[in-house]
Amino acid sequence: MLGFRTKLPRQTEVFLGLAGLLVFLALWHVASVSGWVKQQFLPTPWAVVEAFGRLFVERDFAGDILISVGRVWLAFLLSVLVAVPLGLLMSCYRAVGAFVEPFIDFIRYLPVPAMVPLLIIWFGVGEASKIAVLWMGTFFQLVLLIADDTKRVPSEYVESGFTLGANQWQVIRDIITPAALPNMVDNLRITLGWCWTYLIIAEIVAASSGVGHVIWSLRRFVKTPEVMAGIVAIGLIGLLTDQAFRYAHRRWFRYLERS
Amino acid sequence: MSHLVLDQVAKTFRSDGREVQAVTPISLKIAKGQIVTFLGPSGCGKTTLMRMVGGLETPTKGQISLDGASLEGPDRRRGMVFQSYSAFPWLTVAGNIRMGLKYRTDICAAARDEIVKGLIATVGLTSFEDSYTNRISGGMRQRVAIARTLAADPDVLLMDEPFGALDALTREHLQTKLMELNQTSAKTTIFVTHDVEEAILIANRLIIFSARPARVLEDIDVDATLGTTRDQALRDAPAFLDMRRHVQKVIRTEYARAEQEAAHV
Repeated sequence: MLGFRTKLPRQTEVFLGLAGLLVFLALWHVASVSGWVKQQFLPTPWAVVEAFGRLFVERDFAGDILISVGRVWLAFLLSVLVAVPLGLLMSCYRAVGAFVEPFIDFIRYLPVPAMVPLLIIWFGVGEASKIAVLWMGTFFQLVLLIADDTKRVPSEYVESGFTLGANQWQVIRDIITPAALPNMVDNLRITLGWCWTYLIIAEIVAASSGVGHVIWSLRRFVKTPEVMAGIVAIGLIGLLTDQAFRYAHRRWFRYLERS
Repeated sequence: MSHLVLDQVAKTFRSDGREVQAVTPISLKIAKGQIVTFLGPSGCGKTTLMRMVGGLETPTKGQISLDGASLEGPDRRRGMVFQSYSAFPWLTVAGNIRMGLKYRTDICAAARDEIVKGLIATVGLTSFEDSYTNRISGGMRQRVAIARTLAADPDVLLMDEPFGALDALTREHLQTKLMELNQTSAKTTIFVTHDVEEAILIANRLIIFSARPARVLEDIDVDATLGTTRDQALRDAPAFLDMRRHVQKVIRTEYARAEQEAAHV
């Protein structure tokens, strides 16, 4: 099983993954029941599961999840809508790249949490400021990733396109975009993950709904199991979205597999 | 009649603030339907010269014209086949070849399927038309690229070491295919290669270039010596062997000269 750089059968991989998870849960359980860590700080795994159930029954946690997911996707799509065309233009026309890159690089290094107060002054405490935080956090990273993906399209593809009679717009549409798409989708998946990080920050600072708000308000009553259940919920949503993206990637880009 | 004319075409690159001459002023006249191979030491500038014909590089000096009209920038009149990344992986074999028709306005939609089918048969990929190009061999991928370029019906076919990345057996097979194709419908072709035998076998005319900066060392009328019918068996013909020896000698001498020159600088 410990073959150096060898492949493992699928079942063994799944088994090892589950085993790792179980060992983690067991250690956690022991740490909690043995009194090594106070239960107030570290409730047992089962207590977290129960709290998870209570969140849905006692308060409208499903609604909060829906609101958070909605915010993430709205901001993410707004980000993609601008980043993809701009990224394509930046790499196809050096002038566009040279024009916006220094500015984007500067913004990219500003910590998003530091922008929150400013964005609240600008957009108030409503939905707009949350979307703005998420957009700020993802757009400036995404646009550079997209520009990079586009730049990496082999020049042979592009030149083939021109010698087949395509004009610049047709080369962008019919060659550069499909050639860069698999990497772009991968970067969208990664960027969407960052969206969740910024969402929690936005919802903790100023919100009356959403997963982040729920976690933050339960903290006030030291409801540790519920707080942990909320965190687990975010993890599960993240895992689910990530897997969905991976699945779609495998399906859409089946042609990348070599026989 | 001269179809493709290069008039004093030269190329100078700028690198690290220094001017590097890649191609000395070269003049060539290529007749319609003629297959010309470019042979020369690696990095000598023969690919640059071909890319200038394709409009993919701009000459620093001189002019290139096709049927009397000056050429600028790439378009459908000069089709290119590359050594690698030659076929589009997101399209099937048929989809790739269809791309060659996509930007043609002279063909109605109904005729397209027929043309694609015909070209797939020409390059011998009939049972692979729905395969993605990552799942077929490198040799098949090059055939796809050739068929795609032919679909665009260019006036000039530019091939940049198209068989350079293939194993020897596949290379021979594709050479045979190309020779068959040339017997039936010869397109004006510039074929860049490192392989001396390939350069003779395929060509009507062989041009040997010097080490960088590229200068024409010899311009050989291959047809005059070997005739116009070509097949692999020609490799054993005395005339072929003589020519191969001669070409190899020219290249060896050139390598030695370039090395000596480099040592004296």
